[in-house]
Amino acid sequence: MSNDNHTARPRRGVRWLGVTVLLLGTPLVLSGGDSPPQPSGSEPPIRVPSNVAWTEETLTIISNGDAFRGLLMARRCNHCHGEEGFSSVPVFPNLAGEDRLSFWKQMQDFRSGKRTSPVMQGVADGLSARDSADLAAYYSMLPTASDPQDTRAFPQAMQDSSRASIAIRLIVFGDGQRGIPPCQSCHGPVAYVKGAPPLATQNGSYLQQQLDHFANGSRTNDINVRMRSIARQLTAEEKTAVSEYYGAGFGPGVNPR
Amino acid sequence: MKKKIGFAAAMTLVGLAILSTRYYEVDLPVWHFLGGGKGPDPATLHLRGEFVESNLGAAEDSAGSLTVRMIAQQFVFVPQCIVVPAGVPVHFRITSADAVHMLSFLGTNYDLKALPGAVTEATFTFAKPGEFKIPCHEFCGAGHYAMRGQLEVVSRDQFSSLLPGERRTCEQR
Repeated sequence: MSNDNHTARPRRGVRWLGVTVLLLGTPLVLSGGDSPPQPSGSEPPIRVPSNVAWTEETLTIISNGDAFRGLLMARRCNHCHGEEGFSSVPVFPNLAGEDRLSFWKQMQDFRSGKRTSPVMQGVADGLSARDSADLAAYYSMLPTASDPQDTRAFPQAMQDSSRASIAIRLIVFGDGQRGIPPCQSCHGPVAYVKGAPPLATQNGSYLQQQLDHFANGSRTNDINVRMRSIARQLTAEEKTAVSEYYGAGFGPGVNPR
Repeated sequence: MKKKIGFAAAMTLVGLAILSTRYYEVDLPVWHFLGGGKGPDPATLHLRGEFVESNLGAAEDSAGSLTVRMIAQQFVFVPQCIVVPAGVPVHFRITSADAVHMLSFLGTNYDLKALPGAVTEATFTFAKPGEFKIPCHEFCGAGHYAMRGQLEVVSRDQFSSLLPGERRTCEQR
């Protein structure tokens, strides 16, 4: 009796070991041990949308930006973007309260030519990565509250207020049927994604222009084709509606931070 | 004693059955270690590697088999619309740029989990031509419910063979 038990125990252990090995090993055998991708006949030329990647080094450079140095440098930006970060021409973007990461990324893209603009490429050529980080720190601190003494173009009345319902639907709910996510899930205030600027105080004409550029492929510096796949699906009316709605100051998250 | 062995054998069979159908979905840290941690870095997908934007979509390798590469990210799939031929095994290679996502091919039995830092692979065969929605089936953030891709299965004649180096999505068709 005792002899029997003695011999049975190790055997049972061996069996369980076998079962475990089998359980763990089967998926490995089935998946063929994670084979490396087969190189295809010929690779297409690699297109890189932007040289900026949200790595630790990049985030460190941006977070080390010095707002006071940015304030001194911002004098050259005032002419177009306004002394308080609100431009007087609606086609130029407002920079007050701009997100640091998106500001820095756009400056780097202007420098490397990944985003084209006759004016901004020339300006960005003279700014180092650190300069851009300083400017980003400064502009992110500017208040977005309205100022009666300023010559800002910002809140511009909607040309057709009946489009507001289209805009609200896209901003709050998106369009699941076409795979268009809601604007506010990346551009705030519900959630922010790295590199997505807040839109609540942005000029409508600028937004309209950029949406058109994303849609027709003249602006291609969004990482992983995010904005291009969204803008491509929007109709002309929807683009106008969303831009005008944000440009009128109705967008969610207008309250000064 | 025999009962116990029988029980163990039954459990083994059940485990094997589950694993053999869903092995690509099992996400254990062991897998990543065995794979050598060679997965793509989610932050630099667009700079180098197989998931640069010019390499996404359906591609044909030298052996003639079809590979579809996709990125899942908050809150769009890229490419948003993919086109594959019917009745041909299609190899999927999918990764995520941020959170965990899941592609659920509505109307079929297929789904695929996309993990940041790892490539999910699977080979699916779509029997009939048709259009399938691919909603994200794993909560990934504020825009999760509007995250939806599209799969167009066309007949083999319509899907002419790809040129070397060509990548096909619905937009170009």
